[in-house]
Amino acid sequence: MKIWLLLLIPVGVTLAGTAHSQNLSLELKDVTIRQALHAIERESGYSFFYNDSFKDLEKKISLTAQNEPISDVLGRVLSNTLLTHKFLEGKLIVIVLKDAPEKIRVRGQVTGIDIKTSLPGVNVTVKGTSTGTVTDTNGEYVIDVDPGATLVFSFVGYISTEVKVTAETRIDIELEVEAKTLNEVTVVSTGYQEVDKRLFTGAVVTLGSKDFKTDGTIDVSRMLQGRAAGVSVQNVSGTFGAAPKIRVRGATSITGDNKPLWVVDNVVLEDVVNISAEQLTTGDPNTLIGSSVAGLNSDDIESITILKDASATALYGARAKDGVIVIKTKRGRVGKPVISYTGNFSTYLKPSYDNYNILNSVDQMSVYAEMERKGLLNHSDMVTQANGGVYKKMYDLINSSYNEQTDQFDLLNTPQERRAFLQRYATANTDWFDKLFKNSFVQEHSLGVSSGTKVSQLYFSTSYYDDNGWTIADHVDRYTLNANATFKLSDKVGFGLTANGSSRTQRVPGTVARQVDVVEGRYNRDFDINPFSFALNTSRVLTAEDEAGNLEYFTRNYAPFNIIKESQTNYIDLNLLDLRLQGDFNYQVTKDLKYEFVGAVRDVRTTTEHKVGDDSNMAEAYRAAGSQVIRQGNKFLYYNPDFPNLDPVVVLPEGGFYNRSDDQMRSYYVKNQLTWKHAFGTKHHVNLVGGHEIRMIDRQNSYNNGYGYQFNKGGVAFTDYLIIKQLLEGNFNYFGMGYTKERYASFYASANYSFNDKYVLNATTRMDGSNKLGEARTARWLPTWNVSGAWNLDAENFMNGVRAVDYLTLKAGYGLTANVGNATNSSVVYRSGTTPHPHFDETESQIIIDGLENQDLTWEKQYELNVGLSTGFFNRFTVAFDYYNRNHFDLISVIKTSGIGGEPYKAINYADMKSYGIDLTIGATVFDRRGLTWTTNFVYSHNQSRITNLKNLPRIYNLVFQDGGAQQGYPVRGLFSIDYKGLNPENGVPTFIDHDGKPGTNVFLQSLNTQYLKYEGPVDPTYTGGFSNTFRYKQLSLNVFFTYQGGNKIRLNPAFKNGYSDLDAMPREFLDRWITPGDEKYTDIPAIADLNVLAGLSSTYPYNTYNYSTARVADGGFVRMRTISLSYALPSKIIAGTTFTSASISLTGTNLWLVYADKKLYGQDPEFFSSGGVALPVPRQITLSVKLVL
Amino acid sequence: MKKKVSILIVASVMMMTGCDDFLSETPDNRASLDSKEKIAELLVTAYPEANYIPFCEALSDNVEDNFGGTENVTNADPWFWRDASATWQDSPEFYWNGCYTAIAAANHALRAIEQSSDPSFYAAQKGEALLARAYSHFMLVSLFANMYDPQTAPADPGIPYVTDPETVSLKTYERKTVEYVYEMIEKDLTKGLPLVDDRSYGGSGTNAANLARFHFTRAAAHAFASRFYLFKKDYAKVIEHANAVLDGNDIPSLLRPWTTTYRTLTSNELTLTYTRSTEKANLLLCDTQSNWGTSFNQVRYSTGAARREEIFFINNPALGNYAYSTYYTNTGVNFVFKFREHFVRVGMNATTGYSYTIIPLFSTEEVLLNRAEAYAMQVQFHEALDEMNLFISTRVLNYDPDVHNVTFNRLYNLYHETDNKKAIVRGILELRRVEFLHEGLRWFDILRHKLPVTHTSFDGQSTTLSPNDPRRILQIPAEAISVGGLRPNPR
Repeated sequence: MKIWLLLLIPVGVTLAGTAHSQNLSLELKDVTIRQALHAIERESGYSFFYNDSFKDLEKKISLTAQNEPISDVLGRVLSNTLLTHKFLEGKLIVIVLKDAPEKIRVRGQVTGIDIKTSLPGVNVTVKGTSTGTVTDTNGEYVIDVDPGATLVFSFVGYISTEVKVTAETRIDIELEVEAKTLNEVTVVSTGYQEVDKRLFTGAVVTLGSKDFKTDGTIDVSRMLQGRAAGVSVQNVSGTFGAAPKIRVRGATSITGDNKPLWVVDNVVLEDVVNISAEQLTTGDPNTLIGSSVAGLNSDDIESITILKDASATALYGARAKDGVIVIKTKRGRVGKPVISYTGNFSTYLKPSYDNYNILNSVDQMSVYAEMERKGLLNHSDMVTQANGGVYKKMYDLINSSYNEQTDQFDLLNTPQERRAFLQRYATANTDWFDKLFKNSFVQEHSLGVSSGTKVSQLYFSTSYYDDNGWTIADHVDRYTLNANATFKLSDKVGFGLTANGSSRTQRVPGTVARQVDVVEGRYNRDFDINPFSFALNTSRVLTAEDEAGNLEYFTRNYAPFNIIKESQTNYIDLNLLDLRLQGDFNYQVTKDLKYEFVGAVRDVRTTTEHKVGDDSNMAEAYRAAGSQVIRQGNKFLYYNPDFPNLDPVVVLPEGGFYNRSDDQMRSYYVKNQLTWKHAFGTKHHVNLVGGHEIRMIDRQNSYNNGYGYQFNKGGVAFTDYLIIKQLLEGNFNYFGMGYTKERYASFYASANYSFNDKYVLNATTRMDGSNKLGEARTARWLPTWNVSGAWNLDAENFMNGVRAVDYLTLKAGYGLTANVGNATNSSVVYRSGTTPHPHFDETESQIIIDGLENQDLTWEKQYELNVGLSTGFFNRFTVAFDYYNRNHFDLISVIKTSGIGGEPYKAINYADMKSYGIDLTIGATVFDRRGLTWTTNFVYSHNQSRITNLKNLPRIYNLVFQDGGAQQGYPVRGLFSIDYKGLNPENGVPTFIDHDGKPGTNVFLQSLNTQYLKYEGPVDPTYTGGFSNTFRYKQLSLNVFFTYQGGNKIRLNPAFKNGYSDLDAMPREFLDRWITPGDEKYTDIPAIADLNVLAGLSSTYPYNTYNYSTARVADGGFVRMRTISLSYALPSKIIAGTTFTSASISLTGTNLWLVYADKKLYGQDPEFFSSGGVALPVPRQITLSVKLVL
Repeated sequence: MKKKVSILIVASVMMMTGCDDFLSETPDNRASLDSKEKIAELLVTAYPEANYIPFCEALSDNVEDNFGGTENVTNADPWFWRDASATWQDSPEFYWNGCYTAIAAANHALRAIEQSSDPSFYAAQKGEALLARAYSHFMLVSLFANMYDPQTAPADPGIPYVTDPETVSLKTYERKTVEYVYEMIEKDLTKGLPLVDDRSYGGSGTNAANLARFHFTRAAAHAFASRFYLFKKDYAKVIEHANAVLDGNDIPSLLRPWTTTYRTLTSNELTLTYTRSTEKANLLLCDTQSNWGTSFNQVRYSTGAARREEIFFINNPALGNYAYSTYYTNTGVNFVFKFREHFVRVGMNATTGYSYTIIPLFSTEEVLLNRAEAYAMQVQFHEALDEMNLFISTRVLNYDPDVHNVTFNRLYNLYHETDNKKAIVRGILELRRVEFLHEGLRWFDILRHKLPVTHTSFDGQSTTLSPNDPRRILQIPAEAISVGGLRPNPR
């Protein structure tokens, strides 16, 4: 805690600082000025210097002052004389003869009309002269001018304003936006500094709220899709709280998270849990707390700045390899309270089978009939199976429907009765989307109040979001609160306090973590009741209700199952509370030197409760023990090694599960910074920054699984001790806790020199220390550096004649950035555990070596070169172009070692990768006449990576799944396929080039021979972007926004299996399946294997292999109409009579239409990974939005 | 000004050192070796969590081609005496890695003990660590280098004998001679053995005796010594160490009760009992990541009817029916139910996971037969025969000394061996072969006695591994050659 003490020392110094803002109360009657000055001397403690021979000193005056500033009082004392006063250092005032004419002092604040806050860096010049000043970081200026002079306020992107001054006064100016150039923002907020865009040397995109705000979209990170060049956003899941996959200039690490750093109000926003890119696509419940940004109210955000290259992120040093996204929230403004209200009312549209190629029930039933003919839906087999649909139901009914009283069977085992039974289902054509989804109602209310005086400004906002659920299994609500106050204690000292918080409750379908089955080559998730997956994977032959309208059950895990019932009894409740406090303090030590302090603390607590009711399928599956076949087949029963000859037994006789998981995070952040700004003459500007910061993040996860919780009996637990014994013997525990502690300390310095605003040079260095690499001191510290420059060509003399060019800037930067990788063994890592012994009395605690000491462990690094050009011309067009080249090295990857040290596979820093790309933004005002304007904005980003050194040893399944895998010579995630070689003409079974390069049906997915796989393309898109068009006519405006991406490949959802059950829904491709020999010439859809063929396949899985073959790949490119929005602002004539200052209404359609996508996808969303669990696609949505300002 | 500068320097030094303390926070809930208990827990992993049996069995003459059995490369490669293409569990490379991982655990424990303020406090742990380190190296040198021969050992390349924890990302090693490795093993063995303390295992728990069977107890250490000296051909020491295990005991009560209790067990019960810690014959048990528990009676190259005939009847020195209960599958695999797979799922409800099989590393039977062989080698034939007959008395049904006891004459008739010593040793090897069926030890006997091995495929193709075939020595794993800098074995 030594550090804390040191931090406090500089704070004390500021209390000594006062300005000549001292106030006086005086009453003088008929005294000489000399006497009056004596009186003031007595009252104020100031001393006067003057020439005794001034005649005016003998003039008589009268004066009354009530708590007036001394300067004003003196002004009045000397008002009718030829004298004036000046303040000197040390409480001295000199009285001198007035120059003629006397200068007057003008001060004020400049704000931008669009961003509603102050504009730093505005040029304030006296017209016709070369004198002038620039507004400070608060947008304030002070200038002494001759009376009658005209002040010109000018700033790039705004219309210059001229004001004539006659008397000493305060002039606050609101500058209007010039032309309609998009994305033209003048100050870059890096989180450390506010820099004039013309002096900023890095690659950056700044978005004002109107540039990114999408009505009805709740998560800010999703709003960035297609908005900023160099930023790719993929909505791999649309569930609230699940972060999209965001990449700034592509991936920079092979094994790391590749997530950009989020910074809110100069403080790094830490994630509650670390979710890797791969985890994002799993649909596991912890993905819902992965996005901290989900707790931000987008109405509170004033601007988002994305720092892309090494120069822009230099001050973030060794944590900024993946880019930085800086969010600036709104502040209070001087003036009377402004109350704004935004209301969004949305509905999510139900998905429809029209968009998916799923067989209808008649076709499906005919497929079942073929399966029955092939002996696959065999009566005797079906009754002992774990899962089953209508056939199993029919056979069970035949077996059990004997009625003793009547000596009759309810259902006779005759072809006629069987056909009659199946007839109802064949025509059922159940619309599962209709049963499980609804046109939900989502409301979002946000209220903000801004108010302030010159010395204190307040911003307060609150919001409420409620989604009553797109499916029958989910809903979410969220409250946010944001209070921000800034105070100005004096001209030199200011401080601010911010508190924000959010609270969320969410319900999602119950789910357990998914598992990879590498033997068969598929993902497994037991008890998956994700409504979207269910609707796509469940046969439309099945019905949700029987003829009487009661819920109808089929069999899953040997137990009765109905999706509606299951949704009601098996769910996850998520509670999240996020509280953040921040204090800022700044002190202008001298005119040039400024000290700033930022301290913040954040606390997040989340609880995930998985509640599984007593009569849910998941609980009943633990109790299914009806026959010996079931007892031996049901994996949820317990085989007791103490009784080796007995069948497995039920260990959950009563109740369900209450499984709880708690994630907590507390983070601290402290920064001290000194800034020195100085102008040598008028042309040389120097800006130095130095500081240090400290971050601490403590995370904790605990879980507790409750077995036998009886929801139906008042919550009394009934636990069979055998279930605990089963767990322990299987090496699981019923509770546990883990924690991580991250510590970072950093020191940084940066120097910026600009000559005449024309040439800018910048150099930055930073030293980062982290505990994440482990205990050894050697690996702990890493210095990073950067040099960059900018050349504002438009300021050159030779450009004077070129009127078409508004501005033209050339930038270049080169530097080193880094990140901590996923290895923590700078010293040896021991972990505790227990031995995997089958017997309880042979189990003991053990400590394993999780990682040998690695003295060579270091950070993952990259050198980046960025060259950028930005220009505007004809006041209509803007172009920003950046090219970058990155050299990634010391990347952590797993390498196979000699094994002799005791760690056969080590994660070490050895891999290399190269990447390059371009970012391009074009803005244009296409049309602007007679009140109609059409502006357009086009964003294009391209990124390509290639691994140049990687000695990992992937197995086939590591490369062919939809997430792809890493291999030398390929992009960071490449998708590979097993080479499909047509159907076997004898039986319609797919054939491939196997792991040994030979044709066959048996591909060993665990094989290390990956050389026979076919490379398809990268998993991540190589180009992404957006295209936005806005049409304005008077009060109406229409925005049409498209996003696109491409260059990548997508693995189609796995649809094929060795054996199908009468539960499976099949895609329409099945209508084209191989049926008789000869079909293989016309189709690639494999046959449904009959019993003979299945027996021949024995333990090979050609159908699963087919899912991962060249036949099941689609192009990832798409164009999506992301939003279309029509808004109407009420004309000022109408609002004039009301209390409102402005009012507008808009209608937005989000995600309505996939303009282009590969036909092979058949409705499969190219962004969405259909992984079940809690993952849902981004819905189509219509939003009505109301904005009122009071 | 000077003062200001010095204040600045002092302040920044304080800040940096403060930060260093601040950054010393452990990043997660990792363990540290700060107590005797924890060092002991680290030593739980000082035994190779890998299985040598699957490839040793397939290399040996215990197996044949049971066409129709499950095919996999971990089984087929050793059968064809090919260099292993598999690197996963049950492959030689996996065993290599498992042994060196165990050695690393022992070395880290030893370092922690050395660095402690009072190393003598950790004597028992030191003993265990030294023995565990010696054991893993001993198994490696037996498999990956030429079998010890006093003539060639000073020149034969051994395997790296690792005594220090590895601390750099990629390190190179060297192969010194087999003699050097044997010296190092003997050094660790003789230094560790007196330090071992049976009471240090399992603490005060009621299952301490069970847990001790997974560690080097005195008896297990002597068993290891008896095997080591048998391999080193130092027969007096074999007898000395075997005596330490067997003397003062009613020897039959130490052996597996095949003729009594085991006869009454169901196959399920037998698979649990055979590798159970309550079984006295198990001197050292080890859990290995291996699916030998399910594959030993399924794989194609396994014991079949012909080998069973040979092992159980034709070469049976007792001329009686063994009490081992054998079973066979429809693909022709003949087997004794000795193992059971323990399947550890990756998640509560998962169907995939890791298979573990518990295997006995040392048993009292081995110690007894080691001593018998040592007697025979020292030309103490009567002691050797007594030892064999004692063993036979616990292994044949309805034991009758007059019928079943071996004699010189019978051995001669059975094996056509005129040299008494060779005949007796042959008899002992046959007893070992049947007793340790499915346990891999036959391969070491083949190596020690340079026995030829013939493998015949189901279509009658025969190949023989001659006594000096270089393929008898397993090839060093590929990365140990390319990354570790080791010389490969000749091919």
